[in-house]
Amino acid sequence: MIFSDTTKPRVDLNFIGTALVLAAIGCMLVYSATFFTDPNLGIFKRQVLWVIIGIVLALIIMAIDYHVLFDIAPILYVIGNILLVYLLVWGKLTANVKSWIHIGGFQFQPSEFMKVFTALMLARFFDSNDRAYLDFRSFMIAMAIIGIPVGLIIIQPDFGTAASFFPLIAVAMFFGGIRPRIWVAMVLLAAISLPLGWTMFLKGYQRERVMIFLNPERDPLGSGYQVTQAKIAIGSGGIHGKGFRHGTQGKLGFVPEHHTDFIFSVLGEEWGFVGVVVVLGLYFYMVFQALTFAKHARDRGGTFLIIGLTMFFVFHVMINVSMQIGILPTTGIPLPLVSYGGSSTMMFFMAIGLIANVDMRRFVNA
Amino acid sequence: MRVYRDDQKFLQFRINAVLWGIVAVFVFLAGSFWFVQGVQAEKYRGLSEANALREIEIPAKRGLIMDRTGKILADNQPAYTLQIDRVVMKPLKKADPQRRQKLEQFLARVLELQPAEVSARWDKESAKLPANQPFPIAEDLSMAQVAKIQAQSIAFPEANVVPVQRRNYPYGTMAAHVLGFIGEVGGKELAQNNTLTQGDLIGKRGVELMYDQYLRGKGGAEYWEYDADGRRLSEYTPARKQPVPGDNIYLTLDFELQRRAEQYFIENEMVGAAVALDPRNGEVLAMASSPAFNPNVYSKRFTPDVYKTITSNPFKIELNRAIQGLYSPGSVFKVVMAIAGLSDGDVGPDTTFNCSGSGVFYGRRFRCWRPQGHGAVTVDHALKVSCDIYFYNTGARLGVDKINEYAHQLTFGEISHIDLDGERAGLVPSTKWATEKQHRKWYPSETISVAIGQGPLVVTPLQVANMAAAVASGGKVFQPHVVRYVDRVQPDGSYRRFRVPSRVLHEVKLSPPALKSVREGLWKVVNEEGGTGGAARVEGLDVSGKTGSVQVIAYAGRVRAEALPFRYRDHAWFASFAPLNNPQLVVVVFVEHGGHGGTDAAPLAKLLYEARFKDSVNGARLDLSNPETLEQIKEGELPLPSTR
Repeated sequence: MIFSDTTKPRVDLNFIGTALVLAAIGCMLVYSATFFTDPNLGIFKRQVLWVIIGIVLALIIMAIDYHVLFDIAPILYVIGNILLVYLLVWGKLTANVKSWIHIGGFQFQPSEFMKVFTALMLARFFDSNDRAYLDFRSFMIAMAIIGIPVGLIIIQPDFGTAASFFPLIAVAMFFGGIRPRIWVAMVLLAAISLPLGWTMFLKGYQRERVMIFLNPERDPLGSGYQVTQAKIAIGSGGIHGKGFRHGTQGKLGFVPEHHTDFIFSVLGEEWGFVGVVVVLGLYFYMVFQALTFAKHARDRGGTFLIIGLTMFFVFHVMINVSMQIGILPTTGIPLPLVSYGGSSTMMFFMAIGLIANVDMRRFVNA
Repeated sequence: MRVYRDDQKFLQFRINAVLWGIVAVFVFLAGSFWFVQGVQAEKYRGLSEANALREIEIPAKRGLIMDRTGKILADNQPAYTLQIDRVVMKPLKKADPQRRQKLEQFLARVLELQPAEVSARWDKESAKLPANQPFPIAEDLSMAQVAKIQAQSIAFPEANVVPVQRRNYPYGTMAAHVLGFIGEVGGKELAQNNTLTQGDLIGKRGVELMYDQYLRGKGGAEYWEYDADGRRLSEYTPARKQPVPGDNIYLTLDFELQRRAEQYFIENEMVGAAVALDPRNGEVLAMASSPAFNPNVYSKRFTPDVYKTITSNPFKIELNRAIQGLYSPGSVFKVVMAIAGLSDGDVGPDTTFNCSGSGVFYGRRFRCWRPQGHGAVTVDHALKVSCDIYFYNTGARLGVDKINEYAHQLTFGEISHIDLDGERAGLVPSTKWATEKQHRKWYPSETISVAIGQGPLVVTPLQVANMAAAVASGGKVFQPHVVRYVDRVQPDGSYRRFRVPSRVLHEVKLSPPALKSVREGLWKVVNEEGGTGGAARVEGLDVSGKTGSVQVIAYAGRVRAEALPFRYRDHAWFASFAPLNNPQLVVVVFVEHGGHGGTDAAPLAKLLYEARFKDSVNGARLDLSNPETLEQIKEGELPLPSTR
């Protein structure tokens, strides 16, 4: 057998396969959500293209030893930050937010790619830091690595994307190892900054969203309308769903953003509770495998890289699925590998590539 | 290799802890969905069937376009459009497969169209819009048609009559090339601008296009409740989003000047263009291009017949000749030659050349237009009688590259960035142009042709106006513009006014003696006996100008214009400004195949000057010794000339 030689890198096809199944379900849902209002299928075709590009990106990343990627991580990190600064200075406002760079007919969100670059940079930092507890200096460095892009994204102001860096902070704190007094300090800092952030950093529409979350009747046709409609779509799907292409709520435009952030409502409506459980199960299976890789990784950097990226998946799935039925307020956080969108699809495939990369090279002589 | 430290266990423990945490969250999420989809499914299924509110767009009212004083040149008229709502129709169609045919027959009867025509429109229009948006199938319904359709609203609930605003140009072809027209948004525009949606009407030409983002406004929305059969119930008014009307635009055009210019071309059945602008700030007071199109045609349903009529017109009616027509400037270019020669020092104000009716340059004989010659001529006299020999000599001394340099300084060969679409740059030849673009050598004898505005040299009437403005203002050329103000509606209903600024486009250094000689010559053209532009003379106003007649083809001997077929006749030019000492108006008239500048183009200039300075024509003048008047002029106001 070829695979008896354990020094050769080998790819875990279960993990990659799960990701591909999720992406295929995503394309199917995008089709079902848009075929009625977009008869040329432009949105569907673009999503298929993004997935193909994403797979190619993942393969390229897998071909490069992740230690080499650690070596170039600072360059990627700096380039990402420069793009974010560029946006702040020259970016065009789209829906009150400067988060898109336009190149030719295409546009992309550097903040999505920055998620991967920051995780890479953080993992590189922990690779060389192997004390049981983080001292104060290392802790501040770790926070700075995350804080710079988060700060730049908050100014855009894209609060949802900035919040999605939270899993990295949690990883740094929980897995880096923090002494109890720093925990206390962090909790105090959060307690102070929350009301401060409410008045200083949140824009009117963001405050409005939180208020609507607390009291959905406040604006039945604003953000609350979106959740109400999504809930009607999901609830009316029942156990078995209405069937592929047979959803009405999303299709007729009752649910806004039904092919991007609210794609899960299309799943709920057309495939019912069964579909929801299957997709959640697939996500869990993927995350479970990734965390198993993390335990077996060859070095500390690999472990941290996998954990950081996996936490992105968990966080995005948790927040996105929760907001579909109003457990959490509406934020612009896509469903990994499923929601329509070039930047996020590519970034999640890059993350898949990196996780597989670490797993492939878990044997020392590879 | 880095050795795992003792905390491997620590990490493994924490990873397991996180894993269990994730299990808990996923179970919680699945449980929540069970609650919504399992326990409450019936409730939501009911809501889904009773659903729901549908968003129906309310288009914004497009901004008005007015002349400089507020006379409305483009407004909106209420009209009725018939729309088909496919969401309402879907369940009805399921119950009756013949539904569409029945509806089409009904509509064909009411609209007095062939059923096939209705069917063709249906296919075309329904493909343009998403299925949840109603699509239009007939516009401008008469009241009788509206009544007939409303009477059948129970039998055909999917056919809705909706009030709309139709773009209207009350004066028809008036200022059509400046105003432009509107049309349905195209695929390219949709891709470039994400605020547009399929079916929107946007500006396609002229001010309608260039200022579209101001004129367009912002659409609103109504939310209507529908029942399970797709029948419209009632509007949910608290959610209504009011549309924001577009900004109103004041053009710099003067209605009276524009009207006179267009009338002149129409009455004389002439093809051509006229530009009148204020040399002190670049405001365009009149811009006519003949023949013109009727922009109202574009606001209506565009049938192939209409399209064919427009494109098959041999005179290219969509062409704005003032900024897109490229013509040889002819003798009008002699003004550039005089400025170039005097400024460069190749000729002085007193230099004389002897005109005997012809002269030999670079081995070729070039003729003056007057076979018997003009005798000894200085620059002012040469301009007055338009002596060719004088300018042949000036051209030979300057060379083509010097001519090119001065022509560019006077805005030829480049666009002037007027706020209209499709402006063309024209061409001023040079030796570099000949080698790079033509891959040939420039022959010095060609320079002689260029010296009297012939040869490869081509210009737009607007460029000639800019040149005249430079001479009028002593060297400053303002960027010409057709919009004066943009009035933006404020939330409280008042208007906030934004002024279009005056920007200096070019500043040419003209030596005062050179300027004086040129202006003197131009004054003599109009005001002295024997000048070629006497037809533009206005009693009591110092009009200065230059005529031009451009040979379209070479013909042996001399032929009367009337004897030639239309397309072989000469082009006629007249470029002018007034008053001499405080120029306030530049007028350039161009008549395609008109014959002679003096007889065919100059009379329109006279009409425009009379309209603009109507109080001064009978001996009235601006008293420039009055400090108050000077103060007013400095402030940018135009004082009315007083009658002495």
